[in-house]
Amino acid sequence: MKHDKRFYPDYLSEILATIFICFELLVILALLYTPSIGRQIDFLKPFQPRPEWYFLWLFELIGYFPGNTAVIGTVIIPIVYVFLLLFIPYIDKGEKGRLKAALVGIALLLTFAIFTLLSLL
Amino acid sequence: MEKVLDWLDYRFGLKRSHYRFLQRRVPSDLGYTYCFGGMAFTYFLMLACSGLLLSLYYVPSEKEAFRSVVMITDEVTLGWVIRGLHKWAATLFIISTILHTIRVFVSKAYHPPRDLNWMVGVMTFVLVMFSGFTGYLLPWDQKAYWATEVGTAMARSVPFIGDNIMNVFRGGPEVSGATLVRFYSLHILYLPLSIAVLLWTHFHMVKRQGISRNL
Repeated sequence: MKHDKRFYPDYLSEILATIFICFELLVILALLYTPSIGRQIDFLKPFQPRPEWYFLWLFELIGYFPGNTAVIGTVIIPIVYVFLLLFIPYIDKGEKGRLKAALVGIALLLTFAIFTLLSLL
Repeated sequence: MEKVLDWLDYRFGLKRSHYRFLQRRVPSDLGYTYCFGGMAFTYFLMLACSGLLLSLYYVPSEKEAFRSVVMITDEVTLGWVIRGLHKWAATLFIISTILHTIRVFVSKAYHPPRDLNWMVGVMTFVLVMFSGFTGYLLPWDQKAYWATEVGTAMARSVPFIGDNIMNVFRGGPEVSGATLVRFYSLHILYLPLSIAVLLWTHFHMVKRQGISRNL
């Protein structure tokens, strides 16, 4: 193990540099891609709703469960998703714990990634 | 600079009271992936700052909300920048949080005694998603209205009590001005305060337990 460094000034200067880079990135994005003003609410015009990008996967999933099965997509899958994530430390128990946890983790990440991509197609 | 700091230190005793904090040892073999959590917190602070500025002009009412967003964008000095900062900070916040979660997972930092801290992190993440959802309605335009209409209608699919849950979210059977006020309150009071408390716990536990090393 290498020697530890001190929080001040070694680590603090790295933190400040990171904050600076984060802020730069944010300002560049905010100046280049300014949010547009939407259209005023008009109940007579049809409108295709679209959520923010981090909800697209859920939006896509809901489409697969029509009618009475809707509750699976809207409630059961999100709740199971959160609980699996929450209990990862306890899934990783025993000899093959890490493998189980890794499978769960990868499955959760892929669910998010694949359904987000599907909704963009 | 030295003199200014000494002047402040003489009066506030800054170095004395923070000596242990400032002089504490930090492992030097941490990679740059350990930045993601700090990055997420940075964006959280930036969201708070830009949000406070937006709240000076935003009017959370059915009649005024859309017009006030147009005003922030077109008339208020640098209003369009602040709006852009708030929107992009939200996106970057969620990206850094996801990367932070992956980093913690890969480095197995969720093992006891850090298991509870992992759970606090997941809870924070859920509240962050709710913040995104409630904030999406606030511009009160077509996109916002219909996304909330669909989003809150999801609750209706719960057997027996679905309609009741939906009414709690909407403040009535329809998405209306009541929903807007409700979401506004959640977005600027309940959720940020709850997230701040959870983050305080999150950081305090990191301080107590130390940063986990790759095993």
